[in-house]
Amino acid sequence: MDIFLQQLANGLTIGSMFALVALGYTMVYGVMKLINFAHGDMVAASAFIGLTIYTQVMGQSTSFGAVIAIFILAAACTACIGIALERFAYRPLREAPRLSAVVSALGASLVIQNGIMLVWGPQMRIFPPLVPEVYWDIGGVVVSLVQVLILGLSLILMVALYIFVEKTRIGAAIRASAIDQDASRLMGINVNNVIALIFIIGSSLGAVGGLFIALYYRGITFNMGWQYGLYAFIAAILGGIGNIPGAMLGGMMLGLFQAFIAGYVSSTWADAFTFILLILILIVRPTGLLGERVAEKV
Amino acid sequence: MDILKRYSLPIFLVVLLVLPNLLDPRWQAIAITFLVFSVVALSEDIVLGKAGMFNMGHALFFGMGAYVTAILNAKFGWPILATIPVAVLVPALFGILFAGPIVHLRGDYLLVVTIGINIVFIQVLQNNLGGMTGGPNGIFGLDSLSLFGWQLTSQLATYYFAFIILLVTLGVMKNLEKSKAGRALHYLREDSLASESIGINTRTYKIFAFGLGAGLAGLAGTVFATQYSAVSPEAFNFMQSVLFFSIVLVGGSSIPGIFLGVFVMFILPEIFREFSTWRYFVFGFAMILTMILRPNGIWPATFGKIPKFLIKDSDHGA
Repeated sequence: MDIFLQQLANGLTIGSMFALVALGYTMVYGVMKLINFAHGDMVAASAFIGLTIYTQVMGQSTSFGAVIAIFILAAACTACIGIALERFAYRPLREAPRLSAVVSALGASLVIQNGIMLVWGPQMRIFPPLVPEVYWDIGGVVVSLVQVLILGLSLILMVALYIFVEKTRIGAAIRASAIDQDASRLMGINVNNVIALIFIIGSSLGAVGGLFIALYYRGITFNMGWQYGLYAFIAAILGGIGNIPGAMLGGMMLGLFQAFIAGYVSSTWADAFTFILLILILIVRPTGLLGERVAEKV
Repeated sequence: MDILKRYSLPIFLVVLLVLPNLLDPRWQAIAITFLVFSVVALSEDIVLGKAGMFNMGHALFFGMGAYVTAILNAKFGWPILATIPVAVLVPALFGILFAGPIVHLRGDYLLVVTIGINIVFIQVLQNNLGGMTGGPNGIFGLDSLSLFGWQLTSQLATYYFAFIILLVTLGVMKNLEKSKAGRALHYLREDSLASESIGINTRTYKIFAFGLGAGLAGLAGTVFATQYSAVSPEAFNFMQSVLFFSIVLVGGSSIPGIFLGVFVMFILPEIFREFSTWRYFVFGFAMILTMILRPNGIWPATFGKIPKFLIKDSDHGA
């Protein structure tokens, strides 16, 4: 029972990080029908940017204000990368065949990933403990302050995003663009701005996710984007890509699943089981758990 | 121009035939790599380019062929050439069985599933399932080629082995272009629904494409295992699949385009070794630029012959 509760706590933590990153994938896919392969690498870039801001700008301070500033600055820088990515790699290909955009996304991913390597070097860097290392022992289950913060902040961000998309006028514009871009344009929605906004929101959420990953695992490498990006992407697919609550559900499910596999089976098989689960779910529900069945357009 | 088109491939093949005799051993090894990866990229083209299925796990079939050869040779003492039929059949059968339940998935979902099965495959190899795959180190110490008691240990022999397999692959591709199956694949790539309504069994042909592509990749795997007389999981990971996927699309899913793609992706880095840390950074930009300037690839494939009066715009059939 102890293992169960411990892995439940760990699973919720990693699940909420996956969910944050998955939101970036799912929002971009929802509007552009494009898998943004570079998203995972932006997540990694945010961790490295956070590291540099901590050492160079904040003078290694871990005061409350400095930590908040690191998060906001890193998110802003990553959002800029996101906008540049959309402007230069994706916008020229909006009318091109689907696969061309996929190749462009793969190319962008290589550029960002190897850009990180060229700037910060290929070796693993240790991320500073920005949050006090406090642990609580609750009946045999050890929970750290970092875990509580990650879970709490992720939930707040996800609820805020959900309310923003469902209840505001701009959110309505995002939803309309996801359904039909041409019709949205006719209704006076500036689809280019909506897409830029989506990249800003998705990249900043991914940046926060990247900083959480760095805080939780501590070691960051230039190619970690593929790893976590892939998990987050699976989370988005599990929930039904393009669907915002689906990404949250998929992230949490995937985090719990991986934690339980690591706790009860073996962590060396975690990837294999994750993908087998994904394949089985896609065979039964080809559009993910919350995805709608869309009739093919003829 | 027509003459150039007709004779460019034979001339290229003759060059490949003579080439290794002019190269030193290091460049011979690189030339073998070129041949092997060309075969894998061409087999990926059958699935991705010809049938239009987003397959981002093709290194799996390549690796499966290499591992079948390695296991049969190192653990059971089969000669390398005798392992060929098994190294083709196992990936092909696996491709067919694996494709069965998933070919109906919409494009992007298929992409994820093929990425997934590739990662599962690597993890199976690394965890040494059944004690056969040698774990993270792989299998080494394979025999060299032998034919009727002749030992063909030289690198040149491996080169010509790879060359023959490239010829076989090109033969299959040429045949496919002119056969019923090739036309069916072309139609279903252009419009799956329309091809189904004119009586093409899209499901069967999609699975067929997977099986054929997998089998040819397995064949390339045999040569790969022979060349290094070793196999290890990293050579077949998901990054490798991404490269093959990109080569086909950047090249434009035509035979010259794919040769060009393999050359740029695998041979140029050998020429510019001192810039090796910049390799993927530059490739990334090149991929984005190519797609923006030529969305259908550098050298887009054309299919069959359409009478001139039917062609309205020049990019038809690309």
